[in-house]
This record gives sequence, structure tokens and C-alpha cells, in this order.
Amino acid sequence: MTVFKSISKMKEIMTEYYVEAKTTKEKPIAWVTSGAPVEFLYAMDIIPVYPENHAAMCASSHQAVEMMEVAEAEGFSQDICAYARTDFGADLSKGGPIGGLPEPQLLLCSTNICKTVIKWYEVIARKYNIPLFIVDTPFLHNGISQDLVDYTIMQFKDLEKFLADFVKRPFDNERMTQTIHLANDASTKWKEILGLAKTIPSPINSLDTFIHMAPIVTLRGTQASVDYYNLLYEEVAEYAQKKIGSIPNEKYRVLWDNLPIWFKMRRLSEFFDAQKCALVVATYTNSWGGLGFDEFKTDDNYEKLAVSYLFTYINLGFEERIKYLGKLIDELSLTGFIMHSNRSCKPYSLGMYQLQKEATRLTGKPGVVIEADQNDSRVYSDSQVETRLEAFIESMDSM
Amino acid sequence: MYMPFHEVVGNVTTTVKQYKDSLACPVVGVMPAYFPMELIEAAGGYPVQLWGNNLQINNANSHLQVFCCSVARSILELELSGKADMVDAYAFTSLCDTLINLKEIYSRLFTKPTLELSMPITQTEEARRTYLSSVLATVTGDLEKITGQSITESSLEMAAQLHGYSRELQRELYQIRREKPGLIKNYDFYTVIKAGFFLPKRVYNIMLEDLLRELRKAEAPSGKRVRIVHTGLVFDPIEIYKIFDRHNIDIVDDDIANGWHSVSKGELKFNNLVEGVTDYLYNPAPCSCLYNPDRDRHDYLVEKVKDANADGVLFWYVNFCEPDAFDTPQLKARLKSENIPTTSIDIELTMTNFDAIETRINALSEMLGE
Repeated sequence: MTVFKSISKMKEIMTEYYVEAKTTKEKPIAWVTSGAPVEFLYAMDIIPVYPENHAAMCASSHQAVEMMEVAEAEGFSQDICAYARTDFGADLSKGGPIGGLPEPQLLLCSTNICKTVIKWYEVIARKYNIPLFIVDTPFLHNGISQDLVDYTIMQFKDLEKFLADFVKRPFDNERMTQTIHLANDASTKWKEILGLAKTIPSPINSLDTFIHMAPIVTLRGTQASVDYYNLLYEEVAEYAQKKIGSIPNEKYRVLWDNLPIWFKMRRLSEFFDAQKCALVVATYTNSWGGLGFDEFKTDDNYEKLAVSYLFTYINLGFEERIKYLGKLIDELSLTGFIMHSNRSCKPYSLGMYQLQKEATRLTGKPGVVIEADQNDSRVYSDSQVETRLEAFIESMDSM
Repeated sequence: MYMPFHEVVGNVTTTVKQYKDSLACPVVGVMPAYFPMELIEAAGGYPVQLWGNNLQINNANSHLQVFCCSVARSILELELSGKADMVDAYAFTSLCDTLINLKEIYSRLFTKPTLELSMPITQTEEARRTYLSSVLATVTGDLEKITGQSITESSLEMAAQLHGYSRELQRELYQIRREKPGLIKNYDFYTVIKAGFFLPKRVYNIMLEDLLRELRKAEAPSGKRVRIVHTGLVFDPIEIYKIFDRHNIDIVDDDIANGWHSVSKGELKFNNLVEGVTDYLYNPAPCSCLYNPDRDRHDYLVEKVKDANADGVLFWYVNFCEPDAFDTPQLKARLKSENIPTTSIDIELTMTNFDAIETRINALSEMLGE
């Protein structure tokens, strides 16, 4: 992993964000999914808090298993998403790197990352006896359509009423417009940073972007996120210009599909460095980069917002996913792709064997599926994963 | 009395092929759950419900990971192994992440048409109505293409009556079971319900009428028996009910998607399809897979247990079913607070050895029989 200087800025703004969320007396706290339309919350001065981001932090700091065991002792099955289990455990024990999340007063959830989040948030809503608003973003089996955009916007309008009732003041349309612009600016800059990976050697890799994605997830719609990504862009662009690669002697360039394995970031980084294999791009991090704007062109702010929340990679039918994989493999001059069959994430993982075959058929590039989990180290084997990856890397033609 | 139903369940492929030939219409395989089969019937199709099976999983392992539930894996095995040749098309609902992706897998692997009833889960009523209207236009159009027949108001009315009557008869069967515990063996009961997945409704209704005629006259056995309600998504494998029968445990009611959840649905309101399908999906029984804050699942189950005068609740958990797994701890805690005993069994539809389950059921019998 590259240690960009701007990481200190990211740590600063993330710390500020969590400190405010943990200490605020004035602002309501909403727990939200990573794909929820957070702009509406910022427009109403509600602080969004992301259990998914928190669960990833727990895993990165090797505290997730402890949290999950607390949840499992409470009766939550090991079959359910490890993010949810980690957060349930942290909420029960007030453990983890920040001593648990600040208690929520409302919940906002969108189905664009999975339907599982509905169940997850139902559990929280019942525990705290607080309102839950769901923005339903149906799976795009056949691409995006005006009907789906209209359906989403109707829910946005209802969300505005819901939030206005909650904070007991009219919805702030002016602030909403500013927030949308800020979210777009951050998203555009994020996309530009990810686009710099087209440079050979790639100045940034996915193990970096998994870390640097925190603000686009948690602070989307704030000036802090825009400022941060402007800063990061300058630094990465300089690396690109000077042809400084994110790993020494880049020989292979691959795509990573699915969430990271948070508890193995360092080991995998060392493994890929040693193999001269750069994880140039990840479908996961790209999901915050306005994926659908080429598919559904519009100048309307709300339509754009609807498109960005409908058109996340994981919410796409396989035809679209394969096309997208092919496009990335081509545009980023990749030599292969790695698919993480993630026990915790069925919508990302089920069908992956087929996707692997078809993406290889389309691009001629080899792919590999590894069996792992985003958060649960108990179902992970270093030797099995690394042996598989080594065989895959050997099968690739180098740059 | 139950033999005709057992014959159907024991010979599904032969049964469906036989009726497909005699009806001369396409078979539409209906995936879990809540797809209104009236729509298929109204389009001139023959709906057959697929809720998984006990086939050994061989081919499906190449397409679905082991952390996918045995319902999806065994259904896919059916098609991959050629045992579903008589099925001409598949109807899905967006019930869970697994089924949504399974539809994609079917579209890539097979040439048979697939369609999906995307179930809006928003509480924004106007949005739900508008979106469902658009979804239904696509679904009915797709069905018409599959069957080559138009769905008309009169065909919908006929289908609504036919399927509504079938569920009415099934509800009477449930009522008899509640009122005369032990009269119908658990194994026979679920065989009768399961036979309805495969038989044309006209045939099934006649069989049910004959059965109910006998049952209305019969009396329940005397003596103290254990009464339970079970809750989950899929009531299979039905072999397990033989164990309950051996231990004199009566399942007096259920809270299961392909059991009471489906049976309890009223007649589809065909003259306003959007309202009718909304009502069909969300009422009357709440389901872990369908978000519906207006119908609390905890209150519902407590009420059900009390109405059935049950001694306890059995959680019938199909491994890797996340919606069910998320609900369980809080639901158990609520039941405990109401002094309702609970226990669980973990199910794989493909399981062939039931020793561990028998031990569990035996313990349940001892616990509740005291």
C-alpha cells in the first residue's frame, strides 16, 4: 500500500466526523447504509453514521471476531452478514476501536447494496424503537428505466417529508441543492482519482482506495470530502506524472471484484507486492463514482441522484456486470481479475462462477475466484487463498 | 384417504408431465415465494411451485456456493440434471438476494424464459402503486408471450376463483387440524399441502373436497398430546414429520411461507390488479422476507400461538436463510417474555439422515410434555 501524505488529512476529517457524531447534543444521529441517499440527511443537519464503515474498522483493527462472538452469543447465526454481526456485537458490548457507535434516533436504508440491509435495520429499529425509512431501489435486471427513476424520486420526496416531520422544520431545499453539488463534486473527483489507475504503472491500487474510500462513503455531500479528494487527486496525479507505481516493479495489473478482506489488508498487500501484481481497480470502490450517468443522461438533480443510487454495480444484472468488467479490463489494460466469493455478501457473490467464465470469454483474460469473507477471519485460510492466487498469477501474461 | 396426495408428492415429475400433456399448456415453474399463480392460470399456463427438493447436489455446486441455501441449490439442480424438462418457463419474485441472483443465473445458463415480479417494499404508497403497475404490465406481457394467450378480465376472474377456492379448502384443513389435533398426522397434512404445488387446481380441489368430507365426520384421538407451532420459510423435508408423529407431537399451526403464509391469502382482487396484488403480497400473514411495518411479526406469532393453544414454538431454520436468521433472536426473546417455550432445528433440504433432528424433537417432546 502507498502511504500518501493526504492520509493524515483523511484521518483528521474522519476523527472530526466521529468525534462530532459521538459528542453532539444538537444534531440527530441517523444510522445509514453505505448506499443510502445521505444528501437528504446533510441537508437537514442530521449526522449519518455508517455501521458498515464501522464494521470494516473493527475488522481492520482485528476486533471484529470479538464483536461477532458477542452477537452470536445473543443468538445471531453465523450465516448472517459479518458486518451486521460485528455491529450487533459492538452495539451490545460497546467495544471496538471507537467504543461502539453513537445511538441512533432514526434509520435510513437503501436496497441498492442488498436486501439484507432491510433485515439488519429492522433489528436495529426494533431494538431502539426508532423510525426506519427504506428507499427501495429495485435490482436492474434489464438496465435502468424512466419508471425506476420515477419510483426512486417519489420515495425521495417522501423522505423529505419524513425528515421534515422528524426534525420539525421544513425541508431545506436550498441546502439540499448545495449538498447534491458537493456530493457530485466529491464523486466526480473520486472517479478521477480511480481513473488515474489507467497510468502504467498504476500510481494507486485498490488496497489504497479501500482505505481512501471512507470519506466518499461517510462524508459524501460535505465540503470536507470535496477538499479531501482534491488533495488526494493532486498527490496521486503527481505520482502518475512521475510514473511512480503503487507497487515495486508492476508486472501484472488486475481487477478486484467484491468487498475487501479487511482483516488481511496488510498481508495481502505484502503478498501482491511480492508477486508484482497491482490491484488496479475494484468494482466496489467504483460504485461511488457515478456509474450510471452514461446509461441514463439527465440534467435534473433528482434524476441524477436517483440514477446514482439505482446504478450501483451490485444492483446490476449480469449482462451489465459482464459488460462493465470487460470495459474496465480493456480501459485499464488489465492482465486478469480476482473475484472474492464473499460468504457475507450473497448479492455480490452468487453467480460469480458464471460471471468469471463469461468475463474471461469476453476479454480473453484469466480470472480466479477465491473463497473468503469481508470480516470473519474464522472462515479464512491464508494458505488456500494464497495458493490459488499464486496459480492464477502464474497463468497471466505479464505486461 | 391420503394415498392420492402421497402418490403425487412421490412422483412429481410423472404427475406434472401427465397433466401437462392432458392440459396441453406450458408449465411455468414458480420460484419462492408469493407469486400470484392466478396470473399464470389466467394466461393459460400451468403453474407448478418449486420450493426445493431432496436431490443430491452435484451440478449446482458449479454455479452456487455452499453458503447459498439448499432451496436455491436444489431447485437449480433440478434444471441442471434434466429433471425439470417439462418446465417451459420460470416465474420469480424478488423475495431475497439469493433469488434475485438466481434469476440472473437462469437467464445466463438456460434458454427458457424467466420473468420476475419485483415486489416494491417502499412505504411510499403512490410510488408502490405506480411501480407495481409497471411491473405487472411487464409480468402479464411476459406470461402472454410464454403461453400465447391473452389475460382477460374473465380469465383473471376464473383464475382468482379457482385459486381462491383452493386456498379456502386448505384453510379448512388447517382449521380441522387446529380443532382436532392428532386427527391428521403431520406427515399426511404437509403431504396434502405439498401436493397442491404440483397439481392443476381443478384436480387438487376435487381431491381436497373428498378429503375434507371424510375429515369433517372424524373425531380427534383422545389423550394428552404436545401441541406446537413451527415457524420458518419452507416446511420441507416432509420426512421429518414422521418423527413428530412417532413422538405424538401435533403441529397445530404454522408460520411458514409455503404453509399458512400462502394458504391464508384471500381471493385475488382481479378487477384492480395493482391493489389486488399488493394485498396478496402483504396480507394477511407477515413474512421475514417482506418488510411490512404495518403487520408486526412478533405480535402476530404470539397471537397465533395463543389462538392455537400451543405449548411451544419450533424454529424451522433452513441453513443460510438470512431473512429468517435475522429475525430469530428478537423473536425468540419476545416469545420468552410471553412464557412461550421455543427450540430450533437446522434444516438442509437435501439431508437424508435425521438422527440429530430426532434427538432434538425427542427433547422437545420431553420438555413440552412435562
